[in-house]
Amino acid sequence: MNGDSGNKTMSEALVSVRNLRVNFRIDKRTTFEAVKKISFDIPRNSTVALVGESGSGKSVTALSILGLLPHENSSVLPGSEVLFGGRNLLDLSQRELRDLRGKEISMIFQEPMSSLNPVFSVGFQLSEVLRLHMGLSPGQARARGIALLGEVGIPEPEKSIDKYPFQMSGGQQQRVMIAMAIACEPKLLIADEPTTALDVTIQKQILELIGDLQKKHQMSVLFITHDLAVVGEIADFVVVMRDGEIREQGAAADVFERPRDAYTQALLQCRPQLSRRAQRLPVIDDFMSGHPVSYADAPERQRGLTGAEPIVLDVVGLSKSFYSREGLFGKREFKAVHNVSFKLAKGKTLGLVGESGSGKTTVGLTLMRLHEATGGKAIFDGKDILALSNKEFMEYKRRIQIIFQNPYASLNPRFTVGHIVTEPMLIHGIGGSEQERTNMAFELLAKVGLPEVSFYKYPHEFSGGQRQRIAIARCLTMKPDILICDESVSALDVSVQAQVLNLLQDLQDEFQMSYIFISHDLAVVKYISDQVMVMNDGEIVEMANSDDIYLHPQHPYTQRLLSSIPRGWEGAHPKRA
Amino acid sequence: MSAITIPHEHEVSPGLWALAWRRLKADRIAMISLAIVAFFVAMMLASSLGLVAGDWSKEVGTNYATPTWFKDDVAPPPPPGTPEGKPQDDPTVQAEPHAEGKGAEDRKDESSVVDPLADVLKEVRTETANAVQAPVVARLETLPFGADKWGRDVLKKVIKGSETSIFVGLASAVVAVFLGTILGALAGFYGKWIDDVMNWFYNIFTSIPYLLLILAIAAVLNKKGMFTIILILGLTGWTGTFRLIRGEYLKHKEREYVRAADAIGASNTRRMFVHIFPNVSHVVLVQISILVVAFIKTEVILSFLGFGVPVDVVSWGSMLNEAQSEMILGKWWQLAAAGTTMAILVTAFSLFTDALRDALDPKLK
Amino acid sequence: MTAYIIRRLWQMIPTLLGVMLLVFVIFNMVGGDPAYVLAGKISNQEQIDNIRKQLGVDQPYHVQLGIFAKQVVTGDFGASWSTNEKISNILGTRLGPSLMVLVPLLFLETLLAIAFALAVAYVRGSLTDRAVMIVCTAGMSISILVYIIVFQYWLAYKLGWFPVQGWGNGFWENLFVYSSLPILIGLVVSIAPNLRLYRTFVLDEINQDYVRTARAKGLSDNTILWTHVLRNASIPIITHVMAGLPGLLVGAFLIERFFSIPGIGREVILAVERSDFPVVKAITIYVAVATMVANLLADLMYKAVDPRVQLK
Repeated sequence: MNGDSGNKTMSEALVSVRNLRVNFRIDKRTTFEAVKKISFDIPRNSTVALVGESGSGKSVTALSILGLLPHENSSVLPGSEVLFGGRNLLDLSQRELRDLRGKEISMIFQEPMSSLNPVFSVGFQLSEVLRLHMGLSPGQARARGIALLGEVGIPEPEKSIDKYPFQMSGGQQQRVMIAMAIACEPKLLIADEPTTALDVTIQKQILELIGDLQKKHQMSVLFITHDLAVVGEIADFVVVMRDGEIREQGAAADVFERPRDAYTQALLQCRPQLSRRAQRLPVIDDFMSGHPVSYADAPERQRGLTGAEPIVLDVVGLSKSFYSREGLFGKREFKAVHNVSFKLAKGKTLGLVGESGSGKTTVGLTLMRLHEATGGKAIFDGKDILALSNKEFMEYKRRIQIIFQNPYASLNPRFTVGHIVTEPMLIHGIGGSEQERTNMAFELLAKVGLPEVSFYKYPHEFSGGQRQRIAIARCLTMKPDILICDESVSALDVSVQAQVLNLLQDLQDEFQMSYIFISHDLAVVKYISDQVMVMNDGEIVEMANSDDIYLHPQHPYTQRLLSSIPRGWEGAHPKRA
Repeated sequence: MSAITIPHEHEVSPGLWALAWRRLKADRIAMISLAIVAFFVAMMLASSLGLVAGDWSKEVGTNYATPTWFKDDVAPPPPPGTPEGKPQDDPTVQAEPHAEGKGAEDRKDESSVVDPLADVLKEVRTETANAVQAPVVARLETLPFGADKWGRDVLKKVIKGSETSIFVGLASAVVAVFLGTILGALAGFYGKWIDDVMNWFYNIFTSIPYLLLILAIAAVLNKKGMFTIILILGLTGWTGTFRLIRGEYLKHKEREYVRAADAIGASNTRRMFVHIFPNVSHVVLVQISILVVAFIKTEVILSFLGFGVPVDVVSWGSMLNEAQSEMILGKWWQLAAAGTTMAILVTAFSLFTDALRDALDPKLK
Repeated sequence: MTAYIIRRLWQMIPTLLGVMLLVFVIFNMVGGDPAYVLAGKISNQEQIDNIRKQLGVDQPYHVQLGIFAKQVVTGDFGASWSTNEKISNILGTRLGPSLMVLVPLLFLETLLAIAFALAVAYVRGSLTDRAVMIVCTAGMSISILVYIIVFQYWLAYKLGWFPVQGWGNGFWENLFVYSSLPILIGLVVSIAPNLRLYRTFVLDEINQDYVRTARAKGLSDNTILWTHVLRNASIPIITHVMAGLPGLLVGAFLIERFFSIPGIGREVILAVERSDFPVVKAITIYVAVATMVANLLADLMYKAVDPRVQLK
């Protein structure tokens, strides 16, 4: 601990977590230890980031501080302590805990939409907490509610207080959640992945808001996240968790600049960085096996188009509209994709970025003819594949393939992996016999890095990253020319993401496939793409070589988008200066 | 390629069905319920093959013979005038014990108001009774579950009745779920005009309350057999399954695994039946299970009213109909036998359905 | 809102046409010539001929359908074959007694089932919860016939707490004397299935994120259950209650019949037993219309509970 932050010593801790152990009951016989005897402090007036990948126990830790764990299937083991104001919160009665919740310690969650009650107005939900803990009258609560909405940056608070959650955007909903959380001036705000469900521009605003409020109200914040980059700008202290254990904790500067733990090092190095493009991303195994690779030292890879590459797909004026019924005879048109044109070069990657609702996913689905295009052409191999009959398109179908976002939903849970991988070959008549197809399946499973026994297993026996490998193997059976990756690595943990990105690069090098890489994650898109296309409201805003667009964004929207990317650790932040 | 050795001997992992069965096996209530249901189904099969209760219509006991186990508990002897030593030449006289003649009169009046078929029923029974009665045999004073008005063994009637009720319940549930699944799958998967047409049918059938529709059909059909009842129940009972399966198909056809199947070129039929169906089949299974219970209950009510199975077929419903008038005489055993047997089966079936649902969809827990 | 209602009414027309067709198929095509039925009921051949002429039995189906359509549109279904009473009159006088039993039953049953469901959901997973669920399942498995026969025999006939059956003239007399046992039986029969259903509705809501938020705010479990959860769970409950409403009118026929209550349900049974087709046809059409109106009402009620519902 250095600088001013060094003054915040342990004795000043607002909350001390000591030997916390939490068990989850899976069925009658099996229990799972989600949190394994962890200890850490939350000092007064500071922000502690609790970082970990899925299954690390970070959210369970946060919920157990407020006693919010589902009591049917979880239990905090004896000997655990959460000390706050001289009391062990784990020993308090429900009544005492209720007095504390929302008043001394409050909490916000990942999904603002579902975290607010859909059938009550924002004003009702806000004043509920004010009347409960501050004893305000309905009139006073309303006035205070309006002031709070103003404070968290909701436009026209007098009007907004009567709105319902569904009438607000995701960012505004999260602001309402924050207003509710700070209403009683709590000493600690627990924020459980508060920006994960939000677009990158909104994420930046919410992070700034939380930072400002922390300073203004002199409260402590426990910020839970899977993404180290997000907390680089606001954290004073960092606690890194994995598999229910704390791997490393300390002042932010120490953890970011001099990580001692191999896992922390891996988390910092596995994510693609905007500054340079490593030939291969470092993966977690490198670190855990004691051969750490620095991202900065890895050989670089050049990407970008010269303009001389052969074109495999030429999309001209692609449009897709959806219609909804309205009024007596009315029909409302929603232009999901409007007049989108681009060229895809052989063996290259076109990155497609945009925020939610920008139409980027619709482009992919329309090219696959999973949605019917409303207009435009897609010339592939001299034919407009959008105009072909279903029968004619069958021949082309195998040559354009797609990998979806959610690895848990994209594999049929009733099929074995062998069945999943051989099915496309069966449909397209690839491989002469069952035996030949089986052989090919084994070959491809090996290629994507899965053991042979996978062939006989079901999808539910695999992790997210492994399932995405199965999906890739399924596509490879058809030897496609074009592979559309629709947010294919977005649902994966950082360490797994790197492995899948490396696999995709290797396969492109080997098979000269062209990728359309759709993602909201600008750093990943920059890393994997030769060209980047930015979409907003169904239209192309800007398109250029990957390096150019990140260095010299032309369009204001692109500029705004790029400036919202979390920068990670950039040295001591202003508060400490 | 030759470098790859294929582990032919490798065991295939348990699929979702196997895992569900494992969960179900661990549930004690489910296993007990399943055993009871299995017992009833076995009884149904045995009875339909004539192995048991084939002679249910034989008058083996005295009229209203009391249940064996009950007799010792009761302080007063059986009602006076129980026709033990009397000549047994006229069964119709026997049918009305004179000590309670008044009650019998009331009952007769009431049953003629309530049940237009009562007279017919009686006629038929008298005939059969006469036919069977020809050789005079010694009648038993007690039977395990007692005897009915004509001295027929209630236990055998219950067994024979369960054959009818379970068979009607199972068969009509299969018909209804089959219809609902096919229509729901088509509507949900194809959407557009097919969905509109199916929904039109659905709206029509749900606008008319289920029982009213059945009664209306029963009113126009003058000849009723077991298969008519099965058909009526099946043709009117598909709507719930339709709505559920349609919803499932709507949901699943947008799922990524189905999109992926579309992307690799799987045809509509293949996606509908090979990909989606196994993933919604647990809904189908649970629906069958729910409808069996519902149809058993409906069949009982219909047969009670005389709109159900033909009069010469015994079912729990017709037993309850007889029991209704017997109650006033204090002869409760036929009611107790039919009511309890049905309750045991239906409870077991329902508890099993709940467990099945939990086992197939662990998320619900 | 008005546009919405107009559109919904407009959409009812094809459904009503379908119902009419179905009723027509059942009675005129499957049922065929009613002469054989009438022969047993009416001795006067002239009267039978008259009825056959009215139905147009000898005419082709489209003419018969036209006759039936006219009946549906004008609401004039003629007279009962058995009693010669005008059908509009039959329905008018039978509705009151039916509602007398059904309205209190519906209110009590819905309130009790909701209250029990919330209470059971509150202790979900506990031994109490499991025990209540098993008792409900067992209770539901006993035939309604057994309940009626036993209750009527025991409470009315043996103990004399209630009249065995019958119907009076005074409003209060009917409500408190003659309706009370039927209502009691109705409650016993309907609470178990509804309790089970509403419990699943409540459990669906109790695991939602907003409940976690409410707990994080420091609200008591009671407030959460009765305010936050109940309002959300009431949406499917409204659907269930409203959808079952017209069915209840007919479904209470067993109770009405056993207790000799001159209601719609009993009328249906009598009509079916007497093969009194015009009465059955009329009731079917009216109940179908009532169902559609109840569905529309349910949608309008959602609006009051759920602000997300937009009636466009």
